[in-house]
Order: sequence, then structure tokens, then C-alpha cells
Amino acid sequence: MSLRIQILIAVLVLLAILGIANMVRKETLDIKFALSWLTVGVVVLILDIFPGIMTYLVHLFGIELPVNMMFFFGFCFTLYLVFALTVKVSRQSEQLKRLTQEIALLEQGVQKENPDQSADSK
Amino acid sequence: MKKLVIIPAYNEQGGIEKTVRDILEHAPDFDYVVVNDCSTDETLDVCRRNGFCVLNLPANLGIGGSVQTGYVYAWRNGYDIAVQFDGDGQHNARYLDAMADKLIRDQLDMVIGSRYIKKEGFQSSGIRRVGIRYFTGLIRLVTGKKITDPTSGMRMVGRDIIGIYARNYPKDYPEPESVVAILKKGRRVDELPVQMNARQEGISSISPQKSVYYMIKVSLAILLAAVRR
Repeated sequence: MSLRIQILIAVLVLLAILGIANMVRKETLDIKFALSWLTVGVVVLILDIFPGIMTYLVHLFGIELPVNMMFFFGFCFTLYLVFALTVKVSRQSEQLKRLTQEIALLEQGVQKENPDQSADSK
Repeated sequence: MKKLVIIPAYNEQGGIEKTVRDILEHAPDFDYVVVNDCSTDETLDVCRRNGFCVLNLPANLGIGGSVQTGYVYAWRNGYDIAVQFDGDGQHNARYLDAMADKLIRDQLDMVIGSRYIKKEGFQSSGIRRVGIRYFTGLIRLVTGKKITDPTSGMRMVGRDIIGIYARNYPKDYPEPESVVAILKKGRRVDELPVQMNARQEGISSISPQKSVYYMIKVSLAILLAAVRR
């Protein structure tokens, strides 16, 4: 790996980490989710600064090209993340359903008590 | 004995008024509640104008979530019997008393209005009948019970099942799955022959493109419900 690409990768990763940290600061990103992304950033940064680790791991797993290892682990990580998100979405859709039902039931109860104030909001 | 008709309605502006009038006229012992599933047409306005009892969902939940809202309403308001009834004019309210009689007399937990016992009235298209017969077979395989019309949306349940469904009801294409769920809990289900009408208003929720997905999803749901405890 040339020094130039090493520096480029390091800069990009650092920018990404800063961006994520900033989103956490502004509370647009939950720290729970930011943590896994920050971990990825730090791992990539370490591998970038010490390419020897890569070479060692590649030999350890018996993979021929370092880039294949990156693809493999990247793919596994992405799969896991997508799966975790679908689990989350399932749970949230159940919560949303309950909330929606409660609102309808509450509204009906209110309407029954004040039938004259049937100010409809669609 | 308090009895409730649950009418799920999504874009039923043309049929909902007739449906409610049918219930008021032919099943006067029943209360009713329309569950408006965030319709994009005038369904809500039609209901409000007529002073119908409406549960207005602020977001679209689909048929399962709508019907379940009705069951929660029935549970909290102390209803002994609840019956699902389509808002598009497919079902006839004149059978509701007979269904309630059967539920009480035979000490059942659920009575399903079936098109396929006497084979009278609207029978659905040929290809759909094949699908329905397949579900009858599959349900018989996993529960040992023959349900001739497992996709019928006209089903009456007692207090016990109202509670079960208020807690837990499938989200989409719920009919066959929800029957299997209570059969597996050892509840008693039977059918009563009814006539249905071809739908007059609105469109079926199951388009041809979706039917393959429907078959696979419902099959899987039935099998899952069968192994669930």
C-alpha cells in the first residue's frame, strides 16, 4: 500500500468519525447506533496505519489477497447490520401499531363525551 | 349480553353507509363500530355526517391492525361477543343473530360464516376457490379441523377470544392464521352457512400480483401458528 493512499484513507475515516461524533452531539444519531459505526471507523484506521496486521490476518485465515478479506468481513458486517435493522423495524412497527390504535380509541372516547365538539381533523 | 359488530373500512365511501344501515335494520341487538383505516377517500366524512360510531386510525395499519383495534375496543367496553363484518357490502347482517345463537348454543369460541357449506350466493372466482380449498386442506393437516371457508372475513367470537385477539392478532392476511392460532389453543370453532354478495364497492386487497406472495406468506404463517405454543 502506498503512503499516499494510506493518508487518503486515514483522512476519509477521520472525517467520517468526526461526522458521526458531530451527529451524536446534535442528537440526530442515537449513540447506541453510532457506537458500531465508530468501532468500524477505528478498526479501519488501525488497519490503515499498521498494514502489517492485515498481512498477518490474511496469512492466518489462509486468504490470498488482503482485499478479499476486506470484502468478506465488510459483507458479513453489512449483513449483520441489515438484519439487526429489520429486527428493529419489526419491533417498531408493532409499537407504532399499538400507538395508532390507542390514539383512535382515545379520540373515540373523547368524541363520545363531547359529541357537540366534533371538530374533524383529517 | 353485549354484542359488537367490528367493521374494518379502508376506502369504503360507497359501501359503508349501506353496511351500517344493514346492521341497524337486520341485527338491532348488536352495537357496531367502524374502524376507518386512514382511508384516502370520503369514508370518514360519510361516517361523521351520519353520526356513525367510528374509530379513526391516524395511520394506515392494514386489515389486521384495524380489526384488532375493534377487538381492543370490544374488550375494554366489556362486550361478550364480537363479530367482524366487511364494510364493502359483501356480508349480510341478517345472519348475525343466527351466528350468535350458534355460538352460545353450541358453546363455541368462534363461528365463521361460510360460503362453501351450502354453496349458495357469491362463490368467488374459480382460481380463488382453489386457493381457499388449499388452505382448508393445510389447516386440516395441522389442526385436524375442517374449515370450509378459512378466508371468510365474517367471524364471530366470544369474550375469551376477544381478549386473545386484542393482545395478539396477525398484521396482514390474518384470517386463516388467526383461526389456526385459536384451534391450537384448544378452542372450539365451527361454521354456519351464509350467503355473501359480490363486492359492490372498493377493490380486493389481494391483487393477482400479490396472490403468489399471499399464498406463501399465509402458508408459512399457518405452519408457524401450528408450532407456536
